[in-house]
Amino acid sequence: MKIEGTHELRAARERVYKALTDPRVLQRCIPGCERLEKTGEDSYAATLRTGVGSIKGVFNGSVKLEEMRPPEHYRMVVDGKGQPGFLKGSGNLDLEEAGDGAATVIKYTGEVQVGGTIASVGQRMIQGAAKMMASQFFTALEAEAQTVEGDPPPTHGFFRTALRWFSGWLRRIFQNRSK
Amino acid sequence: MIPAQFDYVAPATIDEAVSLLSQHQDEAKILAGGHSLIPAMKLRLAQPQLLIDIGRIKDLSYINEQDGQIRIGAMTTHYQLESNERLRAICPLLPECAAHIGDVQVRNKGTIGGSVAHADPAGDWPAAILALDAEMVAVGQQGERVIKAADFFVDMLTTALAPGEILREIRINAQDVGGRLGQSYMKVAQPASGFAVVGVAVNLALDAGGVCQSSRIGITGVAVKAYRASGVENALKGRVLDSQIIAAAAEHAADAVDANEDLYASADYRRHLARVYTRRAIEAASSRAH
Amino acid sequence: MAKKFVGQSIKRTEDPRLIKGLGHYVDDIKLPETLHVAFVRSMYAHARVKEVDVSEAINAPGVVAVYTGADASALIGPVPCASALPDLKVPDHRVLATDKVYFVGHPIAAVVATNAYAARDAVDLIMVDYEELTPVVDVEEAAAEGGPFIHEKFGDNIAYKLTAGEGDIDAALAGADHVIKQRIVNQRLAPIAMEPRGVLARYLPGEEELTIWSSTQIPHLLRTQLALMIGMPENKLRVITPEVGGGFGSKLNVYAEEALLGWISMRLAKPVKWIETRRENMQATIHGRGQVGYLEIGCMNDGTLAGLRYNVFADLGAYYQLLTPAIPTLTGLMLSGCYKIPAIQINVTGVFTNKVATDAYRGAGRPEATYVVERALDLVAQELSMDVVEVRRKNFPAPEEFPFHTATGLFYDSGNYEGALKKALEMSDYAKLREEQAKARAEGRIVGIGVSTYVEICALGPSQAMPAGGWESATVRIEPTGKVTIMTGASPHGQGQETSFAQIAADELGVDIKDVTVIHGDTSIVQYGIGTFGSRATAVGGTAVFIAIQKLKEKAHKIASHLLQADATNVAFGESGFSLQKAKAAVASGVEVPEPDLPVGQAPAGALPEPETDGKHVTLQDVALAAHLAKDLPPDMEPGLSVTYFFEPKNFTFPFGTHIAVVEIDRETGDIKFQRYVAVDDCGKVINPMLVDGQIQGGIVQALGQALYEEVVYDEQGQLVTGTLMDYAIPKAAMLPHFELARTETPTDVNPLGVKGVGEAGTIGATPCIVNAVVDALAPFGVRHLDMPLKPETIWKLIH
Repeated sequence: MKIEGTHELRAARERVYKALTDPRVLQRCIPGCERLEKTGEDSYAATLRTGVGSIKGVFNGSVKLEEMRPPEHYRMVVDGKGQPGFLKGSGNLDLEEAGDGAATVIKYTGEVQVGGTIASVGQRMIQGAAKMMASQFFTALEAEAQTVEGDPPPTHGFFRTALRWFSGWLRRIFQNRSK
Repeated sequence: MIPAQFDYVAPATIDEAVSLLSQHQDEAKILAGGHSLIPAMKLRLAQPQLLIDIGRIKDLSYINEQDGQIRIGAMTTHYQLESNERLRAICPLLPECAAHIGDVQVRNKGTIGGSVAHADPAGDWPAAILALDAEMVAVGQQGERVIKAADFFVDMLTTALAPGEILREIRINAQDVGGRLGQSYMKVAQPASGFAVVGVAVNLALDAGGVCQSSRIGITGVAVKAYRASGVENALKGRVLDSQIIAAAAEHAADAVDANEDLYASADYRRHLARVYTRRAIEAASSRAH
Repeated sequence: MAKKFVGQSIKRTEDPRLIKGLGHYVDDIKLPETLHVAFVRSMYAHARVKEVDVSEAINAPGVVAVYTGADASALIGPVPCASALPDLKVPDHRVLATDKVYFVGHPIAAVVATNAYAARDAVDLIMVDYEELTPVVDVEEAAAEGGPFIHEKFGDNIAYKLTAGEGDIDAALAGADHVIKQRIVNQRLAPIAMEPRGVLARYLPGEEELTIWSSTQIPHLLRTQLALMIGMPENKLRVITPEVGGGFGSKLNVYAEEALLGWISMRLAKPVKWIETRRENMQATIHGRGQVGYLEIGCMNDGTLAGLRYNVFADLGAYYQLLTPAIPTLTGLMLSGCYKIPAIQINVTGVFTNKVATDAYRGAGRPEATYVVERALDLVAQELSMDVVEVRRKNFPAPEEFPFHTATGLFYDSGNYEGALKKALEMSDYAKLREEQAKARAEGRIVGIGVSTYVEICALGPSQAMPAGGWESATVRIEPTGKVTIMTGASPHGQGQETSFAQIAADELGVDIKDVTVIHGDTSIVQYGIGTFGSRATAVGGTAVFIAIQKLKEKAHKIASHLLQADATNVAFGESGFSLQKAKAAVASGVEVPEPDLPVGQAPAGALPEPETDGKHVTLQDVALAAHLAKDLPPDMEPGLSVTYFFEPKNFTFPFGTHIAVVEIDRETGDIKFQRYVAVDDCGKVINPMLVDGQIQGGIVQALGQALYEEVVYDEQGQLVTGTLMDYAIPKAAMLPHFELARTETPTDVNPLGVKGVGEAGTIGATPCIVNAVVDALAPFGVRHLDMPLKPETIWKLIH
């Protein structure tokens, strides 16, 4: 299965590239990444507890960064296995400057293989799920790249939840007043 | 097809359910009919440690009218909606949509709340919920809040419900504009699953001269989540709905939509079906309004 | 004696218990202390298994044992394949994978636990270390030279090559006015019986007896094969087949799980049960079809067929099941269809792929052939701008040309192809349909009419042509109380033999159908049998019942004559039993009294003259009781009233028919809607019209599934993408047209019942009919052929 897409991040290319190659940042941005340990030069062992909605699984595997050409390109190779099956993928990430250097356009193209239960029962949703995770990843990455160095990193799960609650709370207040 | 081990609890009140859910958070899932959750559990793609069955809570299954709204309890089954005579008169989109869901067995056990909260990208209800601009009443430890349909469907299988929140009720405002109501739901069913390859829900109001005063069009099955076809809606507004206007408007049904692909239909074909079925559904709705 | 039951639409006596949920399928059989088995299956299509770590699983709660290929494979014989072909490469198919896995779903280990939940949980604890290998998925690429090879020792992926046919095909094609070529695909299908497979095995160490309950179509063949596989004396092994919820050929097999469960039960001395899940059913139960072929059909300008060549790659999967390599050979046999084709050649290349085995699925090789031939006839019609009906008529053998010899080496027993065609044309008002089509086309509508005139090969079959016996057995026994017990080797899996065989017996014995019980599916009760498949149950098994009854009646006749103290020639059998005829008066008047017509093997069923009696008679029950008590029997007469007969058919039968479909295609979406579906089938004599209609309807539904919806899809990595019924589309009731069914009745002399078989007819006749209709609809767009399943998107693209 091919996945590809483009995301524009409001952050400078150098910062984005740095975030993209920082294992601590990656761990925070990859949806459900519980562990990302360095095992060698640009290679990591990873544990992902990930999924979409109620559909979740735990995958153990490796992440490797290749063809690193800062700040414009690298290739990520992922290999994971778990109870619901396996996933293998590799993708090229190309970063281009945009908005007079204040923004970065990331183009990704990749090939993902899935096997086991997820391949044989998730046919109609795999592509959507991949897109969704990519989108989550880049949204989190944008927040990371925007943080000022030295500030505590954003906490994405909490952040999203808080935002939802906050908007709901605002709306409630608004609705109560309008009654 | 045997699920992993889980605990099961059937609270008697919604407050108890909310309290259990906030205690267990991600480990728990709400069982509200189970026609998506149980199959996922049997495949072990979902392995919640606790199932909170809200099916035993009294008064979560109802269809009534209050304050100019139709109020539907989350545990109302598809069949109850399909067969409700009053709804056929005042909001025929609901029974029509319900009739397209799964098969008789699914409709007898599956619930609107369960389906909406699950937010399957090809579920039928999200299209109707959007077209009716429904309000979702969520209850959590902090109390109740109302989520508008437009904000509710966030992504594939993801809604605006916060962890710890349960969808309690769905409210539909009585038609907010004067004039004649025209509704319809049309669907291309995937031959294996019966889910929507494309499902189009149309809710429009025409004035005495046949001019479209408002229209809301919800489309499911095409993208990662159901969406409002605002391009179509804009093209209908203020126009007399003849076949040319409708056909031209329906061309916008999949504008800027990143369409799904599966074994049955490519993204292109899905977008095409969305346009064709939007046109057909508007024509049906419009003819019913006349 | 009038026929009360045969020919009547008697409601199935099986149904009340099934409808009420009172039937017993394998999973309904509960034995105390039963252990449950779950399987670890490969999630890769092709991989080396480096290690299977069971240490965590073996210590999990409730787990009793875990067996891997290393534990079991050397101790259990290979999974059998009964097909013998020249130079066939036979892979060593063990019950559990050892060093390599060959398809997604390939069993690697079996977990035995105190309940099904614990067993399934432990499956997730078994760590398999795989080394992935390049999968071989596409059948044509697999056949090409160079690796990767599935079974390395063979040096290629070609299981066998076979050429068959008669006539000089090269000359025939060279001499033809037109030669049309077309690539034709019969996609892989999953049989999807409503009840998946299931096995319960119980070994009694004291008695040294092993009983296996299995959802199978072939209890006796299974017993023999399992005895060989697990080294058990066959007479200590009992196979019981309780209710079977459908098979469609998928249970005409001997599976690894069946042997393994028996073996595990022997090791643990406890009952063990495994019920297949639907996912396992999709992955590890045989698939059907899977042929990619290249057709060349030669014809003359007037439509006369000159020759047909079919070069086909058969996707066999990684291993053989019982009949895997033989299925494409059946395709070769049926390539003449119901036409005179002077030269036919089939070149089969059987190919290994990293998929589950293909094997017999409803029709088993014949639907593939009929599809090729019926598409070929339409291609010829299109090439010559002839009507599809005329091309067919032009090439039919006439009724007087039967038995008709084909260039595939068969003798068709009987046929009246024109008769069935004519009836279908009349029913559908074909001429008017064509007029309406022309009108619709003028209006811009897309309407198509499809015709298929098919012949199939049924009543499998003479033992010479079968891998493991082609006869069938029956025991008919009159109990001392007069009740009739029938034991048939043709163990059904939904066909309704308990009803249809009782109909035959009730008429032949002059008893009520309620007094007849049909017993099947227990190797300790029923004499050896072959099973239900190949549309053979009634034609071969029903005939065995019929002949056994005639033999039983001969004996009863002798006993009755003895009891009546009359000469046998003066005793006749009728409604009230055996009666003394007014023979003396007749003889005195010089009128010749015909011999009571009690022939064996060729009498028309039940056509006995009503005897005139002088009031002296004995009932069948009287005779049975006398035979049982044995106090007053003719000299040297063996006591008891029971006959076992093994019927060996002298030929196959060749049922035929015409199907006509009318479809309309939605120009905007490519969606196909049926306007009419007419089927005229000729299966010879009919025992129960309702059961025959049911078989035809079910067959058409599965054909429609292949034509429009079904396809087993493996992706490039050999992952099974259609792994559940959410993705693999079988037709549902609401997706079906109304079927207009009719029959013609051309007798056969292959068996005395005159029946031919009907189980697969619908599937064989309907698939090309539907495709022909859709291609006909799209002909104005330059369409000559479309591959199945005919998806609306494909059609939409062709239109636009």
